[in-house]
Amino acid sequence: MSERVTVTELNTRVREVLSSNRDLNDIWLLGEISNLKKYSSGHYYFTIKDPGSEIRAVMFRSSRARIDFEPDDAMKVEAYGHVDMYVERGTYQFVVDSMKRSGVGELYLRYEALRKKLEAEGLFSQDRKRKLPVYPKTIGVVTSPTGAVIHDIITTTGRLYPADILLAPAQVQGEGAWRSIVAGIELLNRVGVDVIIVGRGGGSIEDLWPFNEEPVARAIAASRVPVISSVGHETDFTIADFVADVRAATPTAAAQLAVRDKGEIRRQIEDMAVRMNKALSASLVRMRARFEVLDSKLSPKRAKDRIDYLLMKLDDMSSKMAAALSKKNTAMHRRLSSADARLVPALMDAVSRRTKSSEGTFMRLDPAMRAVLDTKRARLEKVSAGLDALSPYAVLERGYSFVAGPDGRAVTSVRGLSRGAVVTLRMRDGRADAEIKDTEEFR
Amino acid sequence: MSEDKEGMGFEESMKTLEELVRQLESGELDLDRSLEVYERAVALRDRCRKILDESDRRVQTIMETASGTVRKDFRVDE
Repeated sequence: MSERVTVTELNTRVREVLSSNRDLNDIWLLGEISNLKKYSSGHYYFTIKDPGSEIRAVMFRSSRARIDFEPDDAMKVEAYGHVDMYVERGTYQFVVDSMKRSGVGELYLRYEALRKKLEAEGLFSQDRKRKLPVYPKTIGVVTSPTGAVIHDIITTTGRLYPADILLAPAQVQGEGAWRSIVAGIELLNRVGVDVIIVGRGGGSIEDLWPFNEEPVARAIAASRVPVISSVGHETDFTIADFVADVRAATPTAAAQLAVRDKGEIRRQIEDMAVRMNKALSASLVRMRARFEVLDSKLSPKRAKDRIDYLLMKLDDMSSKMAAALSKKNTAMHRRLSSADARLVPALMDAVSRRTKSSEGTFMRLDPAMRAVLDTKRARLEKVSAGLDALSPYAVLERGYSFVAGPDGRAVTSVRGLSRGAVVTLRMRDGRADAEIKDTEEFR
Repeated sequence: MSEDKEGMGFEESMKTLEELVRQLESGELDLDRSLEVYERAVALRDRCRKILDESDRRVQTIMETASGTVRKDFRVDE
């Protein structure tokens, strides 16, 4: 009679059979990881498969310390362990005690060979690197439509200068992935975008492998549009990264390289606005200053005012001198009058006061005082060099003379002069009193 | 993105604006020319601001099919 057993009893018996069978224990299992789930308990659950079959596997936290890499989907491995039964669910699984990667050595050799070949061709040369456009209208993206890359790029560029995004969906891992990446790059070149971002998220070397395929490298090199690569994590370098015009560590960084920050552009515009306002007001100030200088030089009224002022001063000084100096002292008078127009009024006052008080004193003016006067005069001459052109004395030097009335003021019209009037003629080297014999007004 | 009606895109507008500001700063323009350049610069500044404030972007996918390339609006789930 058949034995009656509970489910638990049965599964417990199966477990014993499995774990006591030498063929199911102490073995190296060859396959590829998929459906990897990392639990917070620290245990990893995944499937190990080959093209024909698959088996559930578990790697407990305690075993994880024995491996020197981080397992990932699509990774080819050799797993050491045994078959066991999970009684509660009635499933059997492979318990991984240790694990090593397989095929990595071969991939690495292929990678190095291609890297050397393309480097020798100059495909990585800095001279080939193109500048990215500053304000791209359209950013082409070649990546998976479901991955983090496109998500990050769309989110990041939303905060940046508005550019259209054109995604050429591509398969970014597995057999034939390189074909869809190449097709994407070529398609975006045909429809015309301003820059292309090509990439995928992090993964195992097998995951990233399409970006180490020669056709992908060649497509990037042949692209007329500048290419930014963003493949895997910051520490991963694929052949695509070497060929690309710019390599970005993350998709977000790629987006930031492709388009500029809106706020930054805004600041730049405002900065230019400030600069142009400043520049315009500076040139207005400059123009005004230039105009005023010209205006003052050109205005006939100003020139006349200036001459009148100087003449008045001259008259004033002349009469003072005349009163101050005795007739005996004409030599001194002459010397002084050639200097008088150039001396400051205050100094003149001082001199005339001294002269007035005593002729003798002036004659004995001590040498120190004269030296002081000479220095002051020299300075004054220097300062007034510009005014000399307008000085009536310059006119006298050229052979003109001018006429002063009895009041010491310049006579500039024949009107008011009548026969017998006494005037003083002022010349380069002295003066002469004269009497008017006749007048005629020119028409 | 709005294409500029006068034919000058954002990048060109920014470049021209920068060039005009440089000309103004050089101090080599006479008064009439300064004012002319200034007015152009103000117009360009306003245009750049406007493009930046108003333009919107499209996010699309492009695929090759038997009947040619097809574009579709694309949206990622936040």
